[in-house]
This record gives sequence, C-alpha cells and structure tokens, in this order.
Amino acid sequence: MSDMSDLDRQIEQLQRCEVIKESEVKALCAKAREILVEEGNVQAVDAPVTVCGDIHGQFYDLKELFKVGGKVPETNYLFMGDFVDRGFYSVETFLLLLALKVRYPDRITLIRGNHESRQITQVYGFYDECLRKYGSITVWRYCTEIFDYLSLSAIVDGKIFCVHGGLSPSITSLDQIRQIDRKQEVPHDGPMCDLLWSDPEDMQGWGVSPRGAGYLFGSDVVNTFCQENEVDLICRAHQLVMEGYKWHFGEMVLTVWSAPNYCYRCGNVAAILELDENLKRDFTIFEAAPQESRGIPSKKPQPDYFL
Amino acid sequence: MSADPGVIGTNDDASSCKRFAVDKGYWADPYISYLVQKSPSRKAPEINRGYYARVTSIQVILEKFLKMTKNNCQIISLGAGFDTLFWRLSDLGLAPKNFVEVDFEQVTTRKCHFIKSKKQLLSALSDEDADIMISQSELHSAKYHLVHANIANIGELEIKLTASGIDRSLPTLFLTECVLIYIEVEKTNKLLKWIADSFPTSFFLNYEQVNMTDAFGQVMIENLKARDCILSGVAACANTNTQMNRFLNNGWTGGDCIDMALVYKCLPQSDLQRIERIEMLDERELLDQLLSHYCLTWAYKDTLDLGLHTISIS
Repeated sequence: MSDMSDLDRQIEQLQRCEVIKESEVKALCAKAREILVEEGNVQAVDAPVTVCGDIHGQFYDLKELFKVGGKVPETNYLFMGDFVDRGFYSVETFLLLLALKVRYPDRITLIRGNHESRQITQVYGFYDECLRKYGSITVWRYCTEIFDYLSLSAIVDGKIFCVHGGLSPSITSLDQIRQIDRKQEVPHDGPMCDLLWSDPEDMQGWGVSPRGAGYLFGSDVVNTFCQENEVDLICRAHQLVMEGYKWHFGEMVLTVWSAPNYCYRCGNVAAILELDENLKRDFTIFEAAPQESRGIPSKKPQPDYFL
Repeated sequence: MSADPGVIGTNDDASSCKRFAVDKGYWADPYISYLVQKSPSRKAPEINRGYYARVTSIQVILEKFLKMTKNNCQIISLGAGFDTLFWRLSDLGLAPKNFVEVDFEQVTTRKCHFIKSKKQLLSALSDEDADIMISQSELHSAKYHLVHANIANIGELEIKLTASGIDRSLPTLFLTECVLIYIEVEKTNKLLKWIADSFPTSFFLNYEQVNMTDAFGQVMIENLKARDCILSGVAACANTNTQMNRFLNNGWTGGDCIDMALVYKCLPQSDLQRIERIEMLDERELLDQLLSHYCLTWAYKDTLDLGLHTISIS
C-alpha cells in the first residue's frame, strides 16, 4: 500500500516535470523489470487502444498528448518507442511513462525504439541529460538496463502489427520475432536491429537504408508479410511526418508521429491513432504545447541552427 | 542592424558549433582552438554535417576565385566573427593580397585579444616589411586587417576599408555568412549596390537562410526572436529567386543561388563518405530539412573579364 502511494506521489512529481530521486529510479526500474520481463516480443494488446509514435523527451508535448488522448488509465495506450533523446526532458518523459507502466501495467504498453539504446543515447542527448540532472550516469545505467527489457513489437487484436521501425529480411513470421532473445543492447544488424531501424520505401523488395542500420522495405515485402501473418496493417513510427501521420502502399503501412514541432524546430504537427473496439481508426492531430504551459525552464533551451 | 547582443551572440553559437565539429574531425582547423573554447554541449550530427557543408562549399568557391585571380585579389569578410579563414588560406599558400575582416566592435575586440595573445595566430601576420598595428579593437598588418564597423552604414564601412588599404581596382571577393538576414532589406540593397558600383571586378558569396516562408521558417523566426535575434532581412530569404534578384537588381551581372541540400550533393564525394562515417545520422529528414532552408548565393561583376561567371560549386 505504501508502495502504491509512493508511486502515485512519484507520478504526480514527474507530471510536474520534476525528476525523482536516484534511489526512487532504482526501485522503479526494478519493479518495471518484473513486469516487462513477462511481456512477449510481440506483446498482445486488446482494442480499444490509442497508438502513439515518437515522443523524444518533449515532456510538455507528451502532456499535450494526454490532454487530447485522455489520461492513463482511462485511455489504454501503446507507445511505439523513442521516448528519449533530442528533446530537453528525456529523463522526466521516460520515467513518467515507466511509472505509469508500473502503476497501470495493463493500460499502457511501451515497446522499444532505436533510441532506447546505450550507443544512440550517448550521441543524441539522454546520456548528457542524465549526467546534467543527476550529476552521475547511474540513472542512465538504470534506464538503459530497462531498455533491454522493453518489448520489440505489439499486435492489436491479432490484426494490427505495431513496431517502431519496420520489417526485416530475416523475419517472415511473428513467431520468428517471438524467438529473438531481446534482453540485450540493440545490435548493429540482424532482425532485432531491423525491427527498430527499417523504413518503408516506394520500391519492390529490400533496399539499403540511408540511416546506416535496418533496411528499406517495399510494398511486395509488406504484402507477403501481412498475408502470411494474417495482419491487416503495419503501424510504425520512426520517421518524422509533417502532417503527424502518413499512409504507405495504399493503407498497408501507417507512420504515426507524436512529437509536435520536433526538436523544437521542425514545424510539424503530431498525431495519435485511436482504435476503437472494432479497430475503426480515428486520428487526432495536435500541436506543440503553448509556451506558457511549459513553465519557466531553469536554463532556456535553444534549438540548434546554423547561425 | 544595431550592435545588439542577440546578433552578436550568433557568432558565439556558430563558433562553438564549428569547434565541436572540428574536434569531432569533420574538417581540419588548427586555429579554431585559439579563438573558440570547447563547446559546452554536444551538437547533433545534422548540425555538424551542416556546418561541414557550409565551411567546405565556401572553401571550394573561394579557392576557385583565388586560383582564377592568381591570389592577386582581396577578400573582405563582412561579419567575420571568429572565422579562421585567413589562417587556413595562409597555410595552403592561398592568402590573397589583402584580407579584411569586419564585425562589431565587441567581436573585433575579443578577436584582437585572442590574436595578440596567441603566437600561432600572430606569426601568420608577420611580415618583415611592415609592422603590425594593434589597438584594443582593431588590427592592421601587411596582408590581414581586422576592423569594426556597422556594415549597414556604408560611410563607416568605406572609411574602414580605405584604412585597411583596399584597392578598388583589384578583383575583390565579399563574403557574408548568416549576416545579411539581420539587416533590413533596403539597407542590404544599398550595400550591394555600393559594392557593385565601387568594385568593378568583384564576386559576392553569401551563405544564409532561404525558403523561410514555411512552417520551419516561422518556427525559426520565433525561436531566434526568443534569443533577442530579429531576422529583419528575412523577406530576401523567401526563396532562391529573392536571394538572387537582390544582386541582379543592384548592379551585379550574374550569379546563382543553390540551396544547401543541392550544394551538399555537389561536395567532393570521397570526403563526404568520410564525414558521414564519423557519426551515424539517425534521421536523414532532419538534415535535409535544415539544408533546404539554407543556401549559397554568389554574384559577379567582371570588368577585367577574368571569367568569374564560370565559378560555381560543381
């Protein structure tokens, strides 16, 4: 009982964009690990559910997302990864989502994005942010250990396959994904890497990804995968789309992007996909949180340009 | 453009980003560490690649101009900030006959201080036939001059260029990087016209924002305003035509304007492959979006008929 009230207090604190203590992060991660370790690589999720794309540490925009999409646990959420990096509040963003996961494990599903990685977070901000906010990298260690336990994909009512990036030439069936030993750093290549890094492309077959990891996959690949696995739709995130969401190959693949004005610079809107109990799709578009709702940051963060 | 802290701060920001990219190995600059401290924060790979494209493409065009004029020319860098171009060109044996840098007094004062206190910078200015004259905020040597002026004030600029020994009959390259956008369009037009009228054989190279009328552009205007940095000249940065036309409408014979996404593709391929291996870029779209909102514009007036119209990036 005191555990629960502690957790509720931490959630309240994180919702104010205040970090929790290092010892609390440790305890939270330990509890999260117990829950996540039980989840499958293709985590089954029941509709209705609201599917969200990249958040990237844009804490105030995540709050905006909850404002338009409803709160946890009233709304059931599936977040398709990339919680951290690039934005100024990766710590608060990831810990809030993780605390919600521990508090309401059946009402929020978190799957892994390519930024939930030790290597990538050292380049794109989460590592530096942990160091800045805690004075050591201990919290980064706790968090990156939890990244290894995050599921790799989800399937909504057996029909909508959700993954951060896309398909892999090493994978033809969902069962093959289930066989991956996911509890590791994101590898540089191979099926686990591809699921988190690949992108759809107007082509046939497979192509080399300009990202240097994963593949480009064409419409024929998607057709085959969907038929063999009796999947109606592949829902993924991973790519900035200025309009918040984008269809590929007719309505076979869908990109959902949930970080409005990405990097505080891109000028895009964000979207979430609401699936009702019959898997009927409804998109909600939202914009970046207004400046006045962002409080007064201790040090004014500045997006980068060439000046 | 007044000497406001917001605009002056852009030099610190750009210098810091360049220092970070140099430390990462994007390009070689043995002098930047004497002028700019280590960046306090990490810069994203798309920022590093963008600065690489800027520094490299400017160097490509400059070298063509220097070779065409056989170094018998002048370079005037307006809003030069802490640029190390003079020292880098000297190392390559490409220093022009005269090199003048102009910026606000607050900037030239700091640069003067650094040059004075670093023998690695000072030694490149030494010449047995001429003394180096250094004041608090200005420096004059045989081949290099550092002066302060508000470049929107043509009278003031003209006096400083004359004091720096500028010879209007020599082929002269003017360089501006993210400078004109802070100046009202009418004032820039007057400046461009004055240069075209005063320097019969001249080349202007301008790197700055373009395609600024979309959502990305609006966000940039707001973000920079929050840093007290007002883009007073943004109207000329609407597209590549507006960038080019202000030259053509103010006495320049011809030229071109190419957005940096295209410039990037024209850079030497082997070196591009090298720098793209330094850091993985997680999202190409972020780089493409940035590059497509910057451009390289050049214009020429070629009274001496040197062939300046043949200079381009490719």
